[in-house]
Amino acid sequence: MALPNQQTVDYPSFKLVIVGDGGTGKTTFVKRHLTGEFEKKYEPTIGVEVHPLDFFTNCGKIRFYCWDTAGQEKFGGLRDGYYIHGQCAIIMFDVTARLTYKNVPTWHRDLCRVCENIPIVLCGNKVDVKNRQVKAKQVTFHRKKNLQYYEISAKSNYNFEKPFLYLARKLAGDPNLHFVESPALAPPEVLIDLAAQQQHEAELLAAASQPLPDDDDESFE
Amino acid sequence: MSSADPEHREEEEAPAVGDDEDTGAHVAPIVKLEEVAVTTGEEDEDAILDLKSKLYRFDKDGNQWKERGAGTVKFLKHKATGKVRLLMRQSKTLKICANHLILPTMSVQEHAGNEKSCVWHARDFADGELKDELFCIRFPSIENCKSFMETFQEVAESQKAEDEKESADAAGLIEKLSVEEKADAEKKDEEKSEDKTVEKESASGKESKAVEDKKAEEPASSA
Repeated sequence: MALPNQQTVDYPSFKLVIVGDGGTGKTTFVKRHLTGEFEKKYEPTIGVEVHPLDFFTNCGKIRFYCWDTAGQEKFGGLRDGYYIHGQCAIIMFDVTARLTYKNVPTWHRDLCRVCENIPIVLCGNKVDVKNRQVKAKQVTFHRKKNLQYYEISAKSNYNFEKPFLYLARKLAGDPNLHFVESPALAPPEVLIDLAAQQQHEAELLAAASQPLPDDDDESFE
Repeated sequence: MSSADPEHREEEEAPAVGDDEDTGAHVAPIVKLEEVAVTTGEEDEDAILDLKSKLYRFDKDGNQWKERGAGTVKFLKHKATGKVRLLMRQSKTLKICANHLILPTMSVQEHAGNEKSCVWHARDFADGELKDELFCIRFPSIENCKSFMETFQEVAESQKAEDEKESADAAGLIEKLSVEEKADAEKKDEEKSEDKTVEKESASGKESKAVEDKKAEEPASSA
């Protein structure tokens, strides 16, 4: 299962390929999982960026190597060369941009040429936006091609764990697999440095006046 | 998405149907995983606060707050040591956003621009290594934020009291107290054993005379 240039770990790991038009939110989605941040600024991915993403399940720890690929053609690099040995995939489109859904069949075709019979999740991103262009009812491609479909929002975290949970269940052949708490190790004792503490207090005072990045009226799930 | 807009209602209904249905192709599983015992790391702790919240960390390079995760924040008190830590987990994935002790030197203050938020510094162990972080946490309501701040301050002060106890130990005071406590415990044990003896004797009716004799003796001993 060890892939070239991939560090090996002593728990199950999978190559997950993420494709879709540029600007649909592939990188933002991965980053949301990695750091918790929501990246507003759009910076096109060049070639591919690979990020390991761990989850704890009732069947132990698992890892997805997320191959976040370029959506823009001009930054495609090796293009479908990144799909080789992909074990699962996500095809991302943007529900506020009709063209990105129209291009899904092309992404699916290119993906399936290289990766045969792997579990694939189709994701309609940005469902938090009011004026969506692609309605839920209009999304039918997944039924024709036997993909799973989730409406998601990387911004509001709506359904943001579902694609990974679905893929994990398929790869393990266990429909009851679920995520569990990551073990919280006891924090070690820390020695208090008074000089450092004063500096932290000064920094905190300055930071307290910086605005928070998101709107206050967002719902708490 | 919570608006009364019929379009949004439609949107909310559709995913519910889709979520339950598996429209994916049947694929052969590529790993065999066995169920394992789950260890949360919280087994020896009691939760003294448990609130929904959203956590941010301050990015010094960019001079801005960045989201760390949305989920549940808890103060967990260790049953044996009495130490309290703050633990925040992200919803759904249950990954750790923050994990640090509440120390006597720590304090929390309001965020300048948001009355449902407050800020503090901590040496965080969320990623399994100690890291200096400036945290901000936001709550659904002002009341929850106040509750968090009050509990935070109470815990920090109670940890201060415990630290003072520990420092007194160096002077030997704790040693004396523990000796006295032992003596008290021994007395209690003696009293208990005496009670048992009395109970045993009263259980057997044949020795009613002996019981009466004991009763007669008791006033004398208490005097």
